[in-house]
Order: sequence, then structure tokens, then C-alpha cells
Amino acid sequence: MNILKTENLKSYYIFETPTEKKEVKAVNDVSIDIEEDKIYGIAGESGCGKSTFLKTICGLAEPPLRIVGGTIYYLVNGKYVDITKLKEEEYRKLRWEYISYIPQGSMSALNPIIRVKESFKDFVTAHKKIKDEQKDFEEPLRKHLNALGLPMRVLKSYPHQLSGGMRQRVTIALATILNPRIILADEPTTALDVVAQRAVIQLLKDIQTLQKNTIILVTHDMAVHANISNRMLIMYAGIFVEEADTEELFENPLHPYTQFLIGSLPKMGDKSYKISAPGSPPSLANLPQGCPFHPRCPYVMDICKKERPALVEMKPSHKVSCFLNSKERMQNE
Amino acid sequence: MSNTREELIRTEKLQKIFVVGGGFARSKLVAVDDVNFHVNKDEIFTLAGESGCGKSTVSKMLLGFLEPNEGKVYYKGEDISNLKKWKDKKGFMKEVQSIFQNPFETFNPLRKVDSYLYDTQKHYGMNHKGRVVEESLEAVGLDISEVKGRYPNEFSGGQLQRISIARALITRPSLLVADEPVSMVDASLRMSIVNLFKELRDKRHVSVLYITHDLATAYYVSDRIGIMFRGNIIEMGDVEDVLMNPKHPYTQMLKESIPEADPKKKWTERISIKELETEEYMRKGCKFAGRCPYVMEKCKDNMPEEISVENRMVRCWLYE
Ligand SMILES: Nc1ncnc2c1ncn2[C@@H]1O[C@H](COP(=O)(O)OP(=O)(O)OP(=O)(O)O)[C@@H](O)[C@H]1O
Ligand SMILES: Nc1ncnc2c1ncn2[C@@H]1O[C@H](COP(=O)(O)OP(=O)(O)OP(=O)(O)O)[C@@H](O)[C@H]1O
Ligand code: SF4
Ligand code: SF4
Ligand SMILES: [Mg+2]
Ligand SMILES: [Mg+2]
Repeated sequence: MNILKTENLKSYYIFETPTEKKEVKAVNDVSIDIEEDKIYGIAGESGCGKSTFLKTICGLAEPPLRIVGGTIYYLVNGKYVDITKLKEEEYRKLRWEYISYIPQGSMSALNPIIRVKESFKDFVTAHKKIKDEQKDFEEPLRKHLNALGLPMRVLKSYPHQLSGGMRQRVTIALATILNPRIILADEPTTALDVVAQRAVIQLLKDIQTLQKNTIILVTHDMAVHANISNRMLIMYAGIFVEEADTEELFENPLHPYTQFLIGSLPKMGDKSYKISAPGSPPSLANLPQGCPFHPRCPYVMDICKKERPALVEMKPSHKVSCFLNSKERMQNE
Repeated sequence: MSNTREELIRTEKLQKIFVVGGGFARSKLVAVDDVNFHVNKDEIFTLAGESGCGKSTVSKMLLGFLEPNEGKVYYKGEDISNLKKWKDKKGFMKEVQSIFQNPFETFNPLRKVDSYLYDTQKHYGMNHKGRVVEESLEAVGLDISEVKGRYPNEFSGGQLQRISIARALITRPSLLVADEPVSMVDASLRMSIVNLFKELRDKRHVSVLYITHDLATAYYVSDRIGIMFRGNIIEMGDVEDVLMNPKHPYTQMLKESIPEADPKKKWTERISIKELETEEYMRKGCKFAGRCPYVMEKCKDNMPEEISVENRMVRCWLYE
């Protein structure tokens, strides 16, 4: 079953002044199906809209960000619920118990003036009725923290007494303690060294295996995706350019941007010059017409400058949006 | 490359102590201790290591933003704490520029990016008739026309990071201190930024102190590397020696943990992280003793000295 679906989702940052209206098309007409019990990875150029996409699908779009069109379905007790149609109150019930969000830069998410334990307690009691506190709260918390390599003593600390890596793990512990069905993790390892990163990845994977939920993992780090994502999505300038199972994507990238992304990865022991995609990504407030990658694409064709390629299934479960690959184009020729 | 290269910046026994907590819980944290390294002219030197090991604290002391408790920083042979006059300080700041992790924090969201660049030029008294801003942008692959009249939020993070490098180049610096400059950008852009560092080194004689967690790019761009652990540099030498043939048990562990971007080579072994950071900082002897597979009696109470072995420095009693 697919646990989360979006159809033609559009979510823009909109700025209106008496004289002008500016739109940043951060999520631009995207449709996606995410399977249950999987780790779904998202990668892409900085500023291409990954965080905005996560914020939008977990119902956190606040002005200037607005959902301009499309739908977002969660599978709740076997039925699809369109969350864009839910009332605030109904939605709040779903949030955190059903879907939880670890925001980018979440090391600063902990309340700085209270001890870590109080943050946990506030959080859990706000979402669940606690009957027997010792049993229902302390024990799972202890187990949970243990798995993260965090001793119970962290509970007595204030956030500033913990290192970045530790705060990150505490935040992940916090976001997963209620056993949510979907976990959105935005760059959970970015500020970490490789050892702490590995511990966090191991933790996310353990949680997923244990709770059989779905993790949507956003990171720039392709090595992290290679390690734990089952399926991957590549975004570029607000659109989805490629989606495939992780091994297939690494072995057989079809979109020129994905090819650059994978081809430019440095390897230890290899100092040969790595070329990166020429130029820089467009600003989303000022997108080029047609395929948004065309100003940087080595294979650009006339059609690319005029029309936007659709996301087409090229092989079973491997989708790409590029005229080089598109069946439509081959048929037209 | 010869051994007699010109030194640009050097630290000597650098130490920084922070007081953490309040009231009875007050304690001292020696965040940086006995750190000795130098960056040569035309060189990319990397500082890498665990989160919270003191890298940013070192860079802040180098830039003169933070005063060391002990030790000195020498720039071109001169102790930077002697730069008392504003004119001398400004001269130093002109030559040593910094680039930060989050480009969105470098720029004021309410000001147009180009006016900020022109102000930097004016502030440092760079010749305003020349094309200083334009040339700096060109060095990072941008044209002034792409930047003119636009606000920071009209750029992507990657573009903005390039612009912040351009800003740092306006004063024609000899040294760039780049603290995690690529952690926010994707793999392709990451390579274009580190390639830019190489180009700046080779064509404009700019040295770079590159602070990062990303050992793969560190290997790719740097000439020499220092690995930090809990406030000390525990291994330092040519990047080829240190990363391809690490001697210190911590560097070895670090290297084994570098994930490979290949879904066929996933991690299989589990790791465990037991100790709290502050406990490791407080250790009297080798700070890695709690996790080291080769720990000896001596390690527990005695801090290892800087030992020279196979063309690099190692702080580990195994090599005594
Ligand atoms: N509050 C905001 N107001 C206006 N524009 C915004 C705002 N937040 C983000 N943007 C713009 O929306 C675009 C998408 O941003 P988003 O943070 O979703 O990107 P991202 O893919 O998560 O990037 P990164 O990899 O750098 O985290 C960017 O171009 C950014 O400049
Ligand atoms: N102003 C401060 N007051 C108290 N402690 C501090 C202060 N600044 C840093 N520290 C502590 O000093 C240690 C070193 O911090 P620093 O920021 O230099 O680490 P880092 O190596 O840059 O880490 P990261 O890779 O996470 O950026 C950490 O334990 C940190 O908590
Ligand atoms: S659609 Fe055209 S410009 Fe876009 S990626 Fe494909 S070939 Fe390149
Ligand atoms: S000094 Fe001792 S504890 Fe420290 S790294 Fe060397 S062997 Fe291990
Ligand atoms: Mg983001
Ligand atoms: Mg730092």
C-alpha cells in the first residue's frame, strides 16, 4: 500500500506588495506515491524545494508559503484522507502520532531553558494520555535513548551542554518516541561527523525496522542514501526529475542532472579531477522556460527550451523527466 | 613541491577554555588544547574531526574573533594579538577572510546583494574605480548582471555560497578560512566549490583553511590535513599519508566510517557510541582511551605527546 500520495501538488512562497507580486515556485506540480514500510530518499540541488516539500506534506505550510493547488493523501486506518481538506483541529490529532517531522537544523529545536527530560515529558504528555508514568514513559524512553548510544544522563542536561551530534540524536529520539507511521527527516546528519552520522543512520534504520513505518529522508549526502534508502527521488528546481529504486538509480541514472550528481562523487584514493555540472542552479523566483535544467544541460535540444518534460515511467518503477528519455518524444518522431 | 615553503599562518600551543553551566554545575571545558599547526602559502590545509572537537573554535581564534586563553597565532610571522591599531587590524582582516557554513546568514535579507558587495569593497578601501567586485564574481563563475539588484532570497543556497566566496575575494586575501562551506550544498555543487578552491590556490595564490566533516572532499582538495579529537590535533601530515594510511586509532576509525556512495557497499557492522562528549574532554590522559581498541595502562593518565612517525605527527603512545 502507498502510505502517502500527492497529486499535482503546488506550493509557492508568495509575496504581494501593492506594486508587485512575486512567486517562488518551490514545489511545482508534483505527484508522488510513497510505499509503506520503506525508507524513501530525496536528494537534489540546494534550494530546489526539498524542505518546502516536506513542510507542505506534513501540513506546515504557513504564509508566505501557500498550497496553491493539488492534494495530499495520508493512508489512515486503510482509508485515504486528503489533509488539505481537514480542519485544523482534525489535522492536529493526526500530526505527531501519525506523521512526525525532524526539521533541517533541528539541533536548535530543543527548548534551551528546560532540561531534555522535560522536553520529552511535555511532548509525550501533550500527545498521549499517560496512565502509569514510570512504565509508559520512562521505560520506552530509556530503551529508545539506549539504542542511540545516549545514556539516561542526557535527560538531566540542558541542550547547550550537549554536542551537536548528541542534540541531533536527542531530537530524533523525540520525534520517534510516539511510533509515528511516517517520519520526515530533513538533513538529519548534515552537521555531523562520519561516526556520529553513522550512528544516526543506524538509529533511523533500527527505528524503521522495529516500527515498520515509513521514513522520508532528505539529504544531500548520496552516500547516506546509498546506505539506507530503498527508493529515491531526485529533485531539481521545484520539480521531480527522476525516481527509481536506489540501486537502479546509482547504476543507471537517466537524467543528465542525476548523472552529474552521481558522477561527481569523490572517492577516497582517487584524486582525478571531477567535473561538476556547469553553471549554477536557477533561482526559483526566476525559472527558465521549458526544462529547468536546460541552461546547464550538455544534451539540450530545441524542445527543451520550450516545453517542460513530464515525469514518465521509462522502465518498470523507474521514472524520469527528460526529453532524451521520454517515450512521448520517441513516438512523435 | 619543496619543503621550504613559505608559512602564512601558524598557531602555537593554542588553548581555549569555556566555562559551561551555572551555579554549582559550573565547570570548565578545555575546548581547544595545545593546538599547533601552520598553513603554507599556496596550500589547502584541512581540519577535520568529530562534531564538537573544537574546529570552529580554532578558526575563530585564527580570525581574531575569539581570544585564546593560552598560545599564539602568528600571521606572516607577526603575533596577531599585537595588532592593536585599527589600521593594522584592518590590514590583517583584509588578508584573512572567512566563509561560513550557512550563506543565508552571511547576507542581510533586506539588502540587495550587489550593494553589500560594493560596500565591502568600500569598507576595505579597495580601489573603487577598478572592477574588483566584478572580477571577484567572475572568479566564482558569476556575472555581475546575474547579481545586480537582487535580494538574497532570489538566489539558491548554492548561488549564494558562491557569492559569499566572491565577497571574501574582494579584498584579495591571501588566506580563506572556510568553516564547513559545502555542508549545505549538493554533491555536484560541492565539487564545483572545492574545485574553485583548487583554482584559487593555483591561479590566484590564495591559501585555504578548509574545515569539514566530509573526508572525501578533504582528500580530493587538500595538500595537508590535521585530524582533531576533543580539542587536540591527534594526527597531521600530507593528506595522502594521513587518510590513505592512518596511524592514530581514531583516524583509523574515522576512515572506516566514511560511507561509500555505492548501494552495493552498505555498512554491515554496527557501531556503538558510549561516552558523553564532556567526559571525554575531561579525561586526563589520551581522550580516546575510552573507545580505543589498543588502550594501554599508560594512556589513561598521560596525555600523548606529539610524536613523529612515517612522515606525519601522531599523538598516540603506540608510536612512542
Ligand atoms: N521563507 C521563504 N521565503 C521566500 N523564499 C523562500 C523561503 N524559504 C525558502 N525559500 C525559497 O524556496 C526555495 C526552496 O527552498 P527549500 O528550503 O525548500 O530548499 P531545499 O531544497 O530544502 O534547500 P537546501 O538543500 O539548501 O536545504 C529556495 O529557492 C528558497 O530561496
Ligand atoms: N561559547 C561557548 N561556550 C561554551 N562552550 C562552547 C562555546 N563554544 C563552543 N563550545 C564547546 O566547545 C566545544 C568545541 O566547539 P566547536 O564549535 O569548536 O566544535 P566544532 O569542531 O566546530 O564542532 P562542529 O563540527 O559540530 O561544528 C564543544 O563541546 C562546544 O559545545
Ligand atoms: S529535457 Fe533536455 S535540457 Fe532537460 S535534461 Fe533532458 S535533455 Fe537536458
Ligand atoms: S594513546 Fe593509547 S588510548 Fe590513545 S589512541 Fe593511542 S593507544 Fe589508544
Ligand atoms: Mg532544505
Ligand atoms: Mg563547527
